[in-house]
Amino acid sequence: MSIRGLKGGFLNFLSEDDLDAIHFATLEILSEIGIKMEHEPALEIFSSSGAKVDYKNSIVKIDEQLLNKALLSAPSRFTLHGKNEDFDVKVDTERVYTIGGSSALNVLDLDGNYRPALFDDLIKFTILLDRLQHLHIMHAIVIPSDLEEYGVDRMLFAGTFPYTSRNYYSQSQTGADGVLEQIKLAAVLQGSEEAVRKNPMFTEVVCMVSPLQHEKVNSEVLIEAAKNNIPVYVEVDAMLGGTTPAPVAGTLVEQNANVLAGIVLAQLVNPGTPCIYSIASGLMDMSTGGYSGAAPETNLLHCATAQVAHYYNLPFQGGTGIDAKIPDAQAGYERAMQVLSNALAGTNFIHLSFGMMEMMLTASYEQCVIDNEIMGAAFKMLEGVAVNDETLSVDLLRKVGPKSAHFLTFKETSEYVRKHYWVPKITDRNVHSSWKAMGAKSMRDVAADEVRKILSENNMPFISAEQTKEITDMAKAFHKKALEKLKAN
Amino acid sequence: MASDDIYKQLYENVLNGDFEQTGELANKALENNIDPMDAINSYLVPAIELVGERFGKKEYFLPDLMRSANAMKNALEVFEKDIREKGVERKSSGKVVIGTVKGDIHEIGKSIVASLLTAKGFTVTDLGVDVESEVFINKIVEEGAEILAMSALLPITMPYQGKVIEDLKARGLRDKIKIMVGGSPVTQEHAERIGADGYADDAVEAVKLAERLMKS
Repeated sequence: MSIRGLKGGFLNFLSEDDLDAIHFATLEILSEIGIKMEHEPALEIFSSSGAKVDYKNSIVKIDEQLLNKALLSAPSRFTLHGKNEDFDVKVDTERVYTIGGSSALNVLDLDGNYRPALFDDLIKFTILLDRLQHLHIMHAIVIPSDLEEYGVDRMLFAGTFPYTSRNYYSQSQTGADGVLEQIKLAAVLQGSEEAVRKNPMFTEVVCMVSPLQHEKVNSEVLIEAAKNNIPVYVEVDAMLGGTTPAPVAGTLVEQNANVLAGIVLAQLVNPGTPCIYSIASGLMDMSTGGYSGAAPETNLLHCATAQVAHYYNLPFQGGTGIDAKIPDAQAGYERAMQVLSNALAGTNFIHLSFGMMEMMLTASYEQCVIDNEIMGAAFKMLEGVAVNDETLSVDLLRKVGPKSAHFLTFKETSEYVRKHYWVPKITDRNVHSSWKAMGAKSMRDVAADEVRKILSENNMPFISAEQTKEITDMAKAFHKKALEKLKAN
Repeated sequence: MASDDIYKQLYENVLNGDFEQTGELANKALENNIDPMDAINSYLVPAIELVGERFGKKEYFLPDLMRSANAMKNALEVFEKDIREKGVERKSSGKVVIGTVKGDIHEIGKSIVASLLTAKGFTVTDLGVDVESEVFINKIVEEGAEILAMSALLPITMPYQGKVIEDLKARGLRDKIKIMVGGSPVTQEHAERIGADGYADDAVEAVKLAERLMKS
């Protein structure tokens, strides 16, 4: 198994004029309204870079010149390192990759139970996801209920990083200390902190608040990650109609101002810091007030945001969870529409695209496997239609001619099928009688079998048991330290 | 403006969510010697109930509901002040103090719950976001609140809900008030762990919970 980056970008909802209009509106917001930043050192960094800073109200105003300068140093190509080269993700603004689920509080287990997530689930999910072909970046899919919340990111690291071959998408809930401790955890495997800083096998995410606010902890994490050369997903989680204007265009402007302000900060701290323009935005359901990741409006927003991010030559993370409660028809249609539209739009990281259900609250083992299947089908479509002498097949058509015949016995057919046709893993294409003979299983049943099979095999060649133990013991100590610090305050 | 017109206007404004004028209209009504209790029970309440009904049928949506709740609230404040000055107490579904806890600036879920509670006849004092324990407690005492509702959207601010409960205990006030907690990462387990009286998944459930807590 290795990672292959297919190119997207077939689907464009915005014209060049639309993109310019969004850019100019964003400049107006950034230079005239500004962003609220609660972290004083962030204000100072902006101030010393020539931005207008209102210390009294913690507002930073960014003009066009400063924005352009910062964007110039933000790379559009970089590598996110896996545990070995096969799992390196070569990021640019065209290739499409996926990121697993994150931070679910509940689990839908194989016995059909809906229950709070446990630390053991985190490890099991990670092992499962690591064996799925179309998963490229690993997230900690659950927040275990058997651990205290504060500083739990250290334990998420311990429950995920040692169990995956993929680059690990981390987070720090407590600020700069989390980033520094995670570097120490990664160093157990990578040999030294210096090696981690040179080729980090993990990244950090910072989540900005709409409208136009950067909380203290997030700015702190952003600055510390940039200082240490850890790539950052600068993410905004807007709710259309709730925390941002109801039209997609207005939300694009808010997201853009909010994310770009974060990217500017990272570039001011350490020019060249890899930043991923990221959203996990969703529609506010106007009957429940809840977050809908699978609404068609959400898909439109994510596809359009891919264009906005690419306008600045920045790689883009979009995609989010779905709303269905169980792996059913709703789950299938929601995930398929979301993944396919994002892949076609050229979303470089389709985020939260495995197992995330119930508005990001629940992780399902079976859905992880089903989502892998959906992703495989979507990626097949990204290959597009190759048109050349060989594929036009005129010679072959001439050979067969207009008569009762078929193409099955030709070498060309055999080679092409083996090389290019998608082989579904858990999709059933049998007639009813054959399907019945094989147990008349629903896709959910087949997925459950696959989960059991994967979890019964143990295969982690990239880390030793001693290293896993060392990381886990250190993470426990760091978590304890964070909790003690919280209690002392 | 004749009394009938004022009544009609108040009803229409609550129904349509035109909240800018309702406070002024309520003052005008009092100048015209309209009975505030009658204005509330015969016009404001039926209007907000109709809004709630249309919301339930998905004809109206959250923005409509919140605008109507604001319209209702602006008029109620004027009428209730007058009623209190006359030494009468209006029967409310319950007195609620609500806010998002310290360190957390997430506004919206809390505001939706506040609006829905207002629409259901609760008297709601919304303290906003980033609210200190001391501010919650002082307001509870001042208002004689029956329910404290606290929101937290971040795992790192959730423990502060527990701190407020501990502070209430320390002041000997815990038994005098029902406490409900909410916010996306908040769970039933968390609510139990910190000693809250209830937790709800979403705003509609939160109102049902508040109604249950008032009966318990």
